[in-house]
Amino acid sequence: MKVLGLIAGGIILFIASLLVAGANPVTAVSQLITGSVGSASAVSGTIREMTPLLILGVSVFLALKAGLFNIGAEGQFVIGSCFSAATMLAIGGPLGVVVGVLIGAIAGGLWALPAGYVKAFRNGHEVITTIMLNNIAINLTKWLASGPFKGEKAVSASTATLPIQSQLTPLIKVGQFELPQAVVVGILLTLGVGYWLSKTTSGYELRAVGANPTAAEFAGVKTKQVTVKAMFLSGAIAGIAGALQIAQFEHRFYDGSSIGYGFDALGVALLAGGNAFGLFASSFIFGALNKGGTSLMGLGIDKGITTMVLAIVIIIFAAVKYRQKGGQHD
Amino acid sequence: MNLAVEMSQISKRYGDVQALDSVSLRVEKGTIHALVGENGAGKTTLMKALYGAMSADSGSVSINGEPVTLKTSREAIAKGIGMVSQHYGIIGELTNLENLILGAENGSILTPVQNQQRAQDLAERMGFQFDWNAESSTLSPAGGQKLEILKLLWRNSQIMILDEPTAMLSPQDSDALYASLKQLAQQGTTIIVVTHRLPEVFEHCKRVTVVRGGRHIADHEVTEVSANQLAEEIVGGSVIERPTPVSNSQPTDSLEVRDLEVKGDKGQIAVKSISFALKKGQLVGIAGVDGNGQRELFHAIIGHAKPLSGILTVEGSDWTQTSIADRIIAGLRVIPEDRHHEGVIEDWSLFENASLGLQRLPEFSDISAGQQELGPTMAEKFSTKHGGLNQPMSSLSGGNQQRFVAGRALQVAPNLILAFQPARGLDLNSTTKVYQEIRRRCDEGATAIIVSFDLDELLDFCDRILVMNHGEMFEPKPEEARDRAAIGRLMVGAG
Repeated sequence: MKVLGLIAGGIILFIASLLVAGANPVTAVSQLITGSVGSASAVSGTIREMTPLLILGVSVFLALKAGLFNIGAEGQFVIGSCFSAATMLAIGGPLGVVVGVLIGAIAGGLWALPAGYVKAFRNGHEVITTIMLNNIAINLTKWLASGPFKGEKAVSASTATLPIQSQLTPLIKVGQFELPQAVVVGILLTLGVGYWLSKTTSGYELRAVGANPTAAEFAGVKTKQVTVKAMFLSGAIAGIAGALQIAQFEHRFYDGSSIGYGFDALGVALLAGGNAFGLFASSFIFGALNKGGTSLMGLGIDKGITTMVLAIVIIIFAAVKYRQKGGQHD
Repeated sequence: MNLAVEMSQISKRYGDVQALDSVSLRVEKGTIHALVGENGAGKTTLMKALYGAMSADSGSVSINGEPVTLKTSREAIAKGIGMVSQHYGIIGELTNLENLILGAENGSILTPVQNQQRAQDLAERMGFQFDWNAESSTLSPAGGQKLEILKLLWRNSQIMILDEPTAMLSPQDSDALYASLKQLAQQGTTIIVVTHRLPEVFEHCKRVTVVRGGRHIADHEVTEVSANQLAEEIVGGSVIERPTPVSNSQPTDSLEVRDLEVKGDKGQIAVKSISFALKKGQLVGIAGVDGNGQRELFHAIIGHAKPLSGILTVEGSDWTQTSIADRIIAGLRVIPEDRHHEGVIEDWSLFENASLGLQRLPEFSDISAGQQELGPTMAEKFSTKHGGLNQPMSSLSGGNQQRFVAGRALQVAPNLILAFQPARGLDLNSTTKVYQEIRRRCDEGATAIIVSFDLDELLDFCDRILVMNHGEMFEPKPEEARDRAAIGRLMVGAG
């Protein structure tokens, strides 16, 4: 009921803001729908937008289950992208992709590790540390792309383009419709993480730490280790997202290649509620709005309007859904 | 007699519990007056009525002979009454000066220079030394207690209520504190000390009032009463003749503790070089007034608190450095004190809570299957009332959560059972059932340690009773092992 109310509220809010912006809501909404799911190519575009959001959503979701708010997914994504691109270029061929994804995972995981350690052993807040790590990641990769990893022919901060054998092809291609391999990996990751969290002992212990660290400690859970592990895994998944983004879509790493997917992923994970499978729906909605929002530009409406509405919906959602956890008791 | 405080016929009822039943208290001006009694005797409630933190159902209060109504603490403070509670309110991140003036700033702009001057004057008057600009987190327990007293002076308190002021202090610090209090009393301040430590009463106080079970029991000049009489008045006589529980204890050693020292949360030494040994099959009760180191000892045996020194062994194997997880695998089962924070995850279903703490045992190698199989048995063991095991733990009442937690602790092969107030929130029938089950497990070879503040409960069910007082462990003499009065004397340090 609450979710339905939220969706209705979001739609009303959206229509109201369209009116304020001086657009015809009917045209705009139909444009939004056509632009995101109205044709085979629109659906493909939505899936392309959805792919990094889904995988990054899993990353943030996993950390959230351990009671950690990983604002650093963006930085881990960028680090994963950058190092996997360099690896794929260095090794080449299909093997380069496999090793590249692995390196992307390790790089993303290691990038998140300091935040995990600081949280576990010094109780320093992960929101602060991961934001700082984002700043470092973005500038470090910028330097790498304009220096050590710079492509020979590149004019700006960018690596070379992957050779054709290292570019992931769509798994299915029917006319204008494409199903990228990366989204399949994302779906498998979601299912895997969902299973791990709900059915295994280590997943159970991770959730216990997130839900009540003191009770978890009394139950014999090594809460510090779990915190570090959760942060590493979350970073590694974000790194995989970054690597797949290069192999499947971008084919090179360049400064600014992420348009803030890591931040959108916070919304994706929050909107999924407590359920891993909710990530499919929430990443699809975000992907569709990203894609469809672009097509609103033709009507003279800024794409930002969808971002804005979504942000308001998430704030309300967070206030409703997480009020007991975050709210004050008694 | 020049009375600073005169409380008469104060009554207060909370639901079914008559917390105070026509209690009167008369305190002479310029003296240190002791208010003594067990946990739940009504001491703190009575003091809250004086401090305006609780409004009594009936009764009257006069301050310096003038009848007053104290509806809020603000009104009490205005009448010159100040209180330092047992869990004192020094904020570690603020400086000593900021803590001192907190809530009693003299305007919207702080005037640190003048404030520091006045603070220094007050401290010098008391013979205290403070670095006013240091963070209060650096204070020792004794320093924190002194700062609390200065806070009352800052507010010009003429009547000070101190709740267990020496609970966290070493004997030397306690003596120094009382020396300062005596000095204040000589200058005309009236001091009421809530305590259960009889040596302090005899050494430092002029008069003493005893409360028990919400009733006024006696008033004495300290010089006119013996420690034994006072101890008996505090714990009361035993009404029922109770049989000694039968123990099937075995000659083999179970838990052995040697020279154990554990720090408390305020940095004090809460457990002072304790040694004791238990046999397999024993059901041991640890008696004592709250805050005498039971909690820290309990946490050290669980593995939650790291001891400063000493050794813990169970059946010969050294537990001192082992993790909680390893202790659980070796058979440690816990009914924790604070089930809300330590025992359950309220957002989770009863099924999910069924494996909490047992998740690494073979019974839960398939965690969902284990939950489905054992969850219902745990709930049934003590008749937990619930609306389905897939409902969240938060849907259960406190008593039913306690039933579930107790059922869980006693379900899977316990070897060493640790229970802190296991009967909390339970009726008599359920309490008996829980203890019967603990006894059954002990007869099978487990060992149980029960911490409780209810001596009668321990006498009813435990075959051996130890007593903690001020961080030390005492055991009554064999011929007095079941003697309620003798144990009571040990609890209040009059043994």
